[in-house]
Amino acid sequence: MPSWQDFQPFIVSGLALGGVYALSGVGLIVLYRATGVVYLAFGAVGAMGALIAWSLVNASVPGWVAWLVCVASAGVVTLGYGLLFGPALAKRDPLVKAVATLGLTLVLFGVMDLLWTTGGGQSRAITLPTDNGGFTLGQIQVTWTQVVGLGAGVAITVVTAAFLRYTKLGTAMRAMANDREITATLGVPVRRVEAAAWLGCGLLGGLAGLLLADLVALDATTLTFLVISSLAAALIARLRSIALTFVAAIVIGLIHDLLTPIQSLSNYRDMTPFVLAAVALLVLSRRRVISLSREEA
Amino acid sequence: MDSERGVIEVTGLTVRFGGVTSLDGMTVTFAAGTCGLIGPNGAGKTTFFNVLSGFVRPAAGSVLAFGDDLLAMVHFRRARWGVRRTFQTEQAIEDLTVFDNVAMVHEHAGLGSASRRQDVLDAIAFVGLEAGPAARVGTLAAGQRRLVEVARAVVGRPKLVLLDEPAAGLPDEETAHLGDVIRGIPEQTGGLTILVDHDMSLVSACCETTAVLDFGKLIASGPTAEVLRDERVVRAYLGTAELA
Amino acid sequence: MAGTAVRTARARPRPPLQKPGAGTLTRAAVVAVILLISLFALPELLSLYYVDAMTQVAVYAMVTLGLGLLVGRVGLVSLGQVAVLAIGAWTAARLLFATTLPYPVVLLAAGVVTMALGTLIGLPALRLRGLYLALITLMLAGAITVVLATANFPNGGHGFLGYDASSVHIPPIRRPSIAASDPAYFRYSVIVAALMFLLAGVHIKTRPGRAWAAIRQSEPAALAAGINVTLYKLWAFALASFITGVAGGVLAGAVHYLYSIGFPTQDSITLLAVVLMGGAYSLWGAVVAALLLQLLPAGLHNWGVSADWLTILFGLGVLQVLTTAPGGLADQVPKDLARLGRLLRRHLPSGAGG
Repeated sequence: MPSWQDFQPFIVSGLALGGVYALSGVGLIVLYRATGVVYLAFGAVGAMGALIAWSLVNASVPGWVAWLVCVASAGVVTLGYGLLFGPALAKRDPLVKAVATLGLTLVLFGVMDLLWTTGGGQSRAITLPTDNGGFTLGQIQVTWTQVVGLGAGVAITVVTAAFLRYTKLGTAMRAMANDREITATLGVPVRRVEAAAWLGCGLLGGLAGLLLADLVALDATTLTFLVISSLAAALIARLRSIALTFVAAIVIGLIHDLLTPIQSLSNYRDMTPFVLAAVALLVLSRRRVISLSREEA
Repeated sequence: MDSERGVIEVTGLTVRFGGVTSLDGMTVTFAAGTCGLIGPNGAGKTTFFNVLSGFVRPAAGSVLAFGDDLLAMVHFRRARWGVRRTFQTEQAIEDLTVFDNVAMVHEHAGLGSASRRQDVLDAIAFVGLEAGPAARVGTLAAGQRRLVEVARAVVGRPKLVLLDEPAAGLPDEETAHLGDVIRGIPEQTGGLTILVDHDMSLVSACCETTAVLDFGKLIASGPTAEVLRDERVVRAYLGTAELA
Repeated sequence: MAGTAVRTARARPRPPLQKPGAGTLTRAAVVAVILLISLFALPELLSLYYVDAMTQVAVYAMVTLGLGLLVGRVGLVSLGQVAVLAIGAWTAARLLFATTLPYPVVLLAAGVVTMALGTLIGLPALRLRGLYLALITLMLAGAITVVLATANFPNGGHGFLGYDASSVHIPPIRRPSIAASDPAYFRYSVIVAALMFLLAGVHIKTRPGRAWAAIRQSEPAALAAGINVTLYKLWAFALASFITGVAGGVLAGAVHYLYSIGFPTQDSITLLAVVLMGGAYSLWGAVVAALLLQLLPAGLHNWGVSADWLTILFGLGVLQVLTTAPGGLADQVPKDLARLGRLLRRHLPSGAGG
């Protein structure tokens, strides 16, 4: 059993990772509640944004421009998808909407592999300026990027909660989560609110992609499927509570990284989000006797 | 004799969904024959049916059907006991024939295969279906599909037949035919029928007694003609001057 | 009275009756011809490269069959079928290395073990609503993939896992003695696949198939009709897992070395995509899906085109299917042919018309 000292650096990295999962989870929940779509392509848009940023940096474009383009591209792709396919699928089952985003994931996957092939064993990396600085907490080294990771998670959670509560647009989103048709009859510009939700979610995807590319790896497959960890957090929060998503995301990030120094379990640590989400889903199912469609309930 | 035919005794039935109380202490006895259950949208009628079907667990209350504790049975076993139901949205299976649709209910209700063919054909004939038993339900018009659903609801000798807005969306002529069929159910099955519908002429024509729900509360019950004239009932429907 | 209503109703003309016999016979004939061509003509006509690809088509036709049953017949979406395939392959490899059991027995065992695991996992998951069920299959598949990556595929070693970390030379997974060559193994896999399709067909035409149709139409209605929905869903899971497990066994023999296949999570998504495109409901759809999944990439690779274009195509295909044609391609084609038939009949001279 590793010592307390062996665990320490992983507490920091786990918190940073958890923070990014949290901001991703919040993005997923806001979009789900406004549109009923579980945006499984969240990781893929972030991955592509990060790859675009990498290409720009390689082409000697200033760093901050590249980061902005990364976030913006994810937002644009997501908004585009939402505008193109949102209305067509609006009345369908949440399952159909989610599977449709898998279609988008495949398209992005193919595009990423075409434009940024992984053959030849070359590995890419993104370094943010915040990687170089940091401070020491006791015996642990903390980089600014890790602080940004956790900080962004906290900030996005708080800001989003406030946004949903206090702003007109946020209240409209909450109303739509309850009933889209009724909200429309109240004069709320439903399409515009949805567009805002799509864009917001996409921007968060770009931000998450950028941070994860730095903290974890710049690899299309890895980044695309890291969405599952964020999804796990959102599922634990029953796709409803933003606060619970934050807590769950931090726990997932911590458990995952804390398993690293434990020899016997280390290889299995990637199972963490899967197992936690599966357990959460099963607990979720205990409440209802049988699921009913809207008309039958 | 009427006293030998079964009744449904509902006592203090309460259902809550989150913060909403769908049914509030509903206490009523459904007498033998055909009973109506009416009320404005959202009054709790379908929730009541869902409790009887076993899809919703009540927070409190009991349902004694023909003396048996209905709520103690697992949902899919209630068909075996003798509950049949139609739904607001279609449930006749498009890919199967009329015969298979009705036979499936007969089979899964635990009724013997010896009498199956005859029972199914009897039920199909009873509802007056135009199409033959070998027709695929997917090829039938809406009104015909509704009749298939009614056939599924009356096959064998069910104890309790729940009809949830069977006339919704049907033209007058088909509604009239449906009314004829519904009136014949007690004799055909020996069971008790509860009819939920918004078409008051259908309810008047078919049901001897009627209960009225509003916001989950029972506001009237008794002979249909009296209930439809009741001031509280008229007020609950808001603006409908005359119901009968 | 109901009686009078019946008499009045019968007076109206009845819709024309269908002739079921002719349709089933034509279908059977087509299947027989395709099987004969596959077994006798294809191995002679195709190069070894394509024989290999077609063996993969046979294997994955079983996987798409399983997924098609779940998605098309019962309405359950599983995003973890590739993990199920991996379990089947692992079991078969373990048995083939550790024992000298005849191939059919190994395939059966792989199917049964996979079925047992699939049912065990399916049991608690089945209470979940459609979306959550799909997500939990994704989660469980992800977990299984991690376990397999760590446990590795058997390589002739001892112990439960059958993996010898120190061995440098990995023995190939054996094939049945009667089907050792590639063309012979292709025929073997076609026969196994045909048997699986037959198994599925029998299920669909009898009681479970009818119950599944009821469940797909409306679960509450099925329950109200007395159908034990959980039992029939579990049955579907068990059948799909069994078939996929057998496919895993055939796959093990086909590739000889399982470590070369990643069984990544992405493949489960691609699998769902092709099943949707091919048509989840019909059995033909499963074959079309397998052709899309294995033959098309082989062809493209041969012509120097990147497989990524296919991934993009599949993604677009999913979007197209979900927004327009829920029946998929295999459903569209018969519809189009029927429309063509009607058009032709209308234009034939009146004497020949029906």
